[in-house]
Amino acid sequence: MSTQPIQIQPLSQPVDIGGEVASFSPEVEAEIDAHLAKYPVMRSAILPLMFIVQRERGYLDAPGVAYLAQRLRLRITDIWEVATFYSMIYTQPVGKYHIQICRTLSCKIMGEPGITDHVCNKLGIKPGETTPDGKFTVSLVECLGSCGTAPMFQIGFDYHENLTTEKVDQIFDSLK
Amino acid sequence: MSASVSRPRRFSSQFLITALFTVYGSQFTVHSSQFTVSGSQFTVFKMATEVIKVKINSKEFEVPKGARLIDVCRDKAFDIPSFCYYSDLALQASCRMCLVRIEKMPKLQTSCTIICTDGMIVTTQSEEIEKAQRSMLEFLLANHPLDCPVCDRGGECELQELTFDWGGLEERFIEKKNYQPERYLSPMVANDPQRCILCKRCTRVCDEWMGEDAIEAGGRGANTVIGTYGGWLDCSQCGNCIEVCPTGTLLDGTYRHQARPWELAQTISTCSYCSDGCEMSLGSRAGELMRIVARDRYVNGHNGEFLCIKGRFGHPFVNHEDRLRTPLIRYKKGGKLIPATWDEAVRHVAEKLKAVTDVHGAEALGVVGSPRITNEANYALHKFATEVVGTNNYAATDAFSLKPFFDNLGAPLATHRDIRYAKTILLIGGEPEELQPLTAKQIRQAVRNGAAKLIVVNSVPIRLVEHAARFIHIRPGTESAAIWALGNSANEATAAQKMGIEASELSALRQTVSETEGDVIIMFGGELNAAAQVIVAQLANTFRADARRVLLHPLPIYNNSVGVHDMGMMNGAMSVAGMLDGAGSSIRALYVAGSFLPEHLRGREEALAKLDFLVVQELFETDTTAFADVVLPAASFAEVDGTFTNNDGLVQRVRQSIPPVNQAKPDWMITAALAAELGTDFGFEMSASAVFREIADRVPAYSGLRYPVLKDESNPVQARYNIVEPLDLSSALKELQQTVAALLDTGEKTDVTPKVGHELFKIGTLTDKVSQFHLLAAGNPRPDTVRVSPLYQITVDAKLQAEPAVAGD
Amino acid sequence: MFIGAIGCEPLQLARVHLENSRSLDVYRKHGGYEAIKKVLDSMSPDDVIGELKKSALRGRGGAGFPTGMKWSFVPKDSPKPKYVVCNADESEPGTFKDRYLMERDPHMLIEGMLIAAYALGAKTNYIYTRGEYRYLIDIMDVALAEARAAGLLGDKILGTDFGAEIYTHTGAGAYICGEETALLSSLEGMRGHPRMKPPFPAVSGLYSAPTVVNNVETLTAVPDIIKLGGAAYQKLGTEKSGGTKVWSVSGHVNRPGVYELPMGYDDMEKFIMEDCGGMRDGKQLKAVIPGGSSVYIMRADQIIGKDVRMDYEGIVAAGSSVGSGGFIVMDETVDVFESTKNLTEFYKHESCGWCTPCREGTDWLVKVFKRIAAGHGRPEDAQLMLDLCDNIEGKSFCPLGDAAAWPIQSAIKRFPEDFRKHLIREQ
Ligand SMILES: Cc1cc2nc3c(=O)[nH]c(=O)nc-3n(C[C@H](O)[C@H](O)[C@H](O)COP(=O)(O)O)c2cc1C
Ligand code: SF4
Ligand code: FES
Repeated sequence: MSTQPIQIQPLSQPVDIGGEVASFSPEVEAEIDAHLAKYPVMRSAILPLMFIVQRERGYLDAPGVAYLAQRLRLRITDIWEVATFYSMIYTQPVGKYHIQICRTLSCKIMGEPGITDHVCNKLGIKPGETTPDGKFTVSLVECLGSCGTAPMFQIGFDYHENLTTEKVDQIFDSLK
Repeated sequence: MSASVSRPRRFSSQFLITALFTVYGSQFTVHSSQFTVSGSQFTVFKMATEVIKVKINSKEFEVPKGARLIDVCRDKAFDIPSFCYYSDLALQASCRMCLVRIEKMPKLQTSCTIICTDGMIVTTQSEEIEKAQRSMLEFLLANHPLDCPVCDRGGECELQELTFDWGGLEERFIEKKNYQPERYLSPMVANDPQRCILCKRCTRVCDEWMGEDAIEAGGRGANTVIGTYGGWLDCSQCGNCIEVCPTGTLLDGTYRHQARPWELAQTISTCSYCSDGCEMSLGSRAGELMRIVARDRYVNGHNGEFLCIKGRFGHPFVNHEDRLRTPLIRYKKGGKLIPATWDEAVRHVAEKLKAVTDVHGAEALGVVGSPRITNEANYALHKFATEVVGTNNYAATDAFSLKPFFDNLGAPLATHRDIRYAKTILLIGGEPEELQPLTAKQIRQAVRNGAAKLIVVNSVPIRLVEHAARFIHIRPGTESAAIWALGNSANEATAAQKMGIEASELSALRQTVSETEGDVIIMFGGELNAAAQVIVAQLANTFRADARRVLLHPLPIYNNSVGVHDMGMMNGAMSVAGMLDGAGSSIRALYVAGSFLPEHLRGREEALAKLDFLVVQELFETDTTAFADVVLPAASFAEVDGTFTNNDGLVQRVRQSIPPVNQAKPDWMITAALAAELGTDFGFEMSASAVFREIADRVPAYSGLRYPVLKDESNPVQARYNIVEPLDLSSALKELQQTVAALLDTGEKTDVTPKVGHELFKIGTLTDKVSQFHLLAAGNPRPDTVRVSPLYQITVDAKLQAEPAVAGD
Repeated sequence: MFIGAIGCEPLQLARVHLENSRSLDVYRKHGGYEAIKKVLDSMSPDDVIGELKKSALRGRGGAGFPTGMKWSFVPKDSPKPKYVVCNADESEPGTFKDRYLMERDPHMLIEGMLIAAYALGAKTNYIYTRGEYRYLIDIMDVALAEARAAGLLGDKILGTDFGAEIYTHTGAGAYICGEETALLSSLEGMRGHPRMKPPFPAVSGLYSAPTVVNNVETLTAVPDIIKLGGAAYQKLGTEKSGGTKVWSVSGHVNRPGVYELPMGYDDMEKFIMEDCGGMRDGKQLKAVIPGGSSVYIMRADQIIGKDVRMDYEGIVAAGSSVGSGGFIVMDETVDVFESTKNLTEFYKHESCGWCTPCREGTDWLVKVFKRIAAGHGRPEDAQLMLDLCDNIEGKSFCPLGDAAAWPIQSAIKRFPEDFRKHLIREQ
């Protein structure tokens, strides 16, 4: 009897999933190859590759998922189970600017509610929503490791710290 | 108030302890040693079973080293609740129900993860443990709907039972439950995600048993759900996820809201589809077969809770409205079949058969048995042919004959348990994952949980190749060459050339087998010709050694392919094809139980029309009955008592679950009635057990068997096949050499792995009666909404029903 | 934000204020890569592990397990490859020290990992960084490329026979992936579920091979241990907790930041009230969470005048633990009921869903908190929550369940008035 989770072997050949499969430019393919080269097991590259697909296609859409399954020699459910576990992998479209406001304790006591209200009022949406033009999404997320510079949010991968309403306004002006 | 539960729940755990003690000596020896093949033919190994002492609830016990605490406790009748623990699946330890206190360990420990050590002191019942276990149940029930009356699983739900057994549960959860709508995951599988307790048995059986990994957990934390990408389940639809689900989360979509479990009479019987012979429980109500399950609370066979799609869902034919209602007589060639009484029909058949044999001699009558009906039925047919008519022209409608194999058997047959614990498995030809799903499951578990080496010799990269340590990809049709090379290593180079492989692959294969310590199991499919079968049957002599047992496992297609051979139906002078070819000349009349296979009729469409007289016993009107002069309604496996013999050589009981439908009669009774009309009294006195007693007296492999001996499906009995002395194989090798020489070395190998279900979803006479199979054969289209049964939404074009899915398409 | 050492010479933070502190040149100019040179020149793997044992370095990821001992568990004779994995998943609320260590001094981490790889015989090594720290991954990639170009990675490092490679890996938003076995699952490309222990990663970890998982700060301490010698390093701290520790401070203090203190620093009150600049706006101190969210919350009166020594034993004696060293300081304006609710929501969001008590328990607790916050509290809810916590604690599959229970248990016991306010509504 096994006590370790059973290692999933790559399939001997990719499963024909049907439907469209995403394709990428040679540069992106090279980037993907570089990630795959880091690991003795292909599956390990699943998260880096998901970020790449997400960067290229906005989110993990069906062709993107099909691509990953084929590229990593995995079943489509393997991609799905992993994608839905991690909060940074999007299986639904998100806005061009994804504003992720930290809601955890340090930020909370240092003024997060005010920042959230301000951002939401500015955009006319509630946390978890996307503006109708698909430009902005606002989410409340858990601690982003900026507690000493709270309150803060992240837009995409960029940290914006020690926020005040004025600073938020400036940041938004620079985005437009 | 005590946390202990008296209801027996999982038999399988006790099983495992037995298995630990007797991994090699088949466990059947324990109870009925006279029926096993063990003995002088091979060395029986016993695993070193070191015994250690553990103290549970102040009582001391001796247990085999390496035993799992939860199994031990249950074996010693200390009940431990659990949901996620399941014998022989990857450990999960997530439900946290099985907590116990172990001295010197800081916290309560999950007994499912603990291996007993010498001197371990364990407490399974205390206030602290009860509080912990009750609180886990409380957590599980928090978001679980408590509307058990609407749940199909009510009455056999493990969650419900535990709650009921413990009683006195105060409901402290007053919040709103998380909501998720019910849906269908496939035509077979209904899903109520809210009821899920995330034990993940379903995902583990899907992966570890079926190798499909079609169903998985998605999401995180309290939002975790069991499901699939896109919400539609594309898999072999075995339904094992339904079976192992302890709650009403995964449900039989074909049986939704049809019956309550406690209304059903449960009858333990054997599957009527493939040669693996899964034990199952037929649930019937008022003469109707409602469902088939293998839940361990009802049945405990060698398949555990495993069934494949056919076994589990392929039963609606039993009560189908198309079942023949009465005997039918076609008084005039080209005329209509007209209903008749049994007396009329039997008299008519007897007269006609007598007329044919009187004029053309006994040999002009051919008798055709079937690998799908019971041993009793085939025995009666054999007796009819040889003793009543006196004809040598009898045969059975099987896809291939195993006679050369059994006649030259050089080693015992492997049981499915042997396969699970084997160290090397050599699979030559065949496609068990589609044709013998239980064998495939055992292979997978042997490889993944038991680190066995699987060697696949096949012209197609079948799905099992995924688990293979070595895949020898040969040209189509050259399986015999592989056998020829295994028979004599001098042939390797020539054989390799014919097979389109490197000779070194064959020597590596030979090496792997010769290095094995433990069991080697050689399996083969229908691709082998007679000479190759002889050599396979004798291969054990080549590879047997002190450290190694070699066992054989044929892969015939039908549920009673082995039994029909044992009953002597393969000993006739003519094959089925020969009879059809001789129709109208050497053969004037045929008495057929069941129907001819499409491959028999293909190219011989005219044959049946040429007969003077054709009598057929069937469930339905078929291509064969279309030409019949008399059609007699036969009873299906659910309506008869009898036995099937599976590919392990296990003689398994078939039990009557419902009275015969319409005017059907068991096949052997029909044959006995015809014999009586022709003046021979078989002396069976309407009792299947009398037929079997006669079988046991006449068939040496079955000698001494009686129905009572076969009654416990958890202790199956293997037929005692004669194992011949090592043979000189030179003539068989020479014969095979000619076959090999005639092979073309140009055949194209396929690189495409066949689609899941390409054989399983094939529409046949029986599966034709299951509407869901049509959806599957048509590619399992996703309906517009998964909230409603796909059957209400998708109607399948009639054309699709005729064209089965084809390999690789 | 303040970054610097107090009460000792900066070790971990020695170079953070230098210009271009990230670059290989600056690192080398200030003693960088001398430790690995010393190791390769004159020390056997066992010597390295011996020094670590002498240093009394305890893991900085939260569990505080002696690092030298952890390394010595790796079987020497295993035929499998071995791996060193750096845990840079830093997601514990209130903790951000690893971020600044990597941002300002990436080569220190590389050197620490190289020494670990040498001691353990690992060829391939990974830095598992949380997905949100993308910019740190980029910084590390640049630093790794620099090191590779300088012959500090790859085959024949510094001209010796020792070779090792280090790669970055990204998480994707899951706190549980900080737990070492969940981290390994995630690194293998699976869902980030923790795994059963035993087998411990040191025996069967990444790809079922022997693996050591260490926190960033643990690994960055290694070069200094080698340079100073284990015994000297230990002397910087206390007998059982050697060396210095980097604390993250956030909340209502005047000078939040990253502070390096010697282990056993006296005392916590002075640290908060003086070193961190005291409370903002002259408010009163109400509560402190000293070790990231997963420890007991402390009342001000457990600190003020209590001379709390800042090391593992000292803080435990005072009624909490070091955890990951994330100080969250709260003043009198904070409602501890609210802050506990906030943390419980965090644990609910981050529970991996594997085991029953953690998955269902955190969900239930959040529902209770929300109901109370909506004005439907009942006096018996305090007891209910304590009982639920008791049912989670010690029964969950991994320590996340315990971590979710502790803040609630301690908050209800230590700040009953904040809960009473919500549970009993004066008519
Ligand atoms: C829920 C949970 C989260 C954790 N998160 C982190 C983390 O973010 N960073 C970290 O270094 N260790 C974290 N740990 C501790 C690790 O499991 C592990 O103890 C640590 O990586 C070992 O390194 P060390 O010995 O250097 O401390 C976490 C543990 C648990 C139970
Ligand atoms: S669906 Fe059923 S078997 Fe599968 S995890 Fe959920 S409760 Fe368990
Ligand atoms: S997430 Fe670890 S115990 Fe549940």
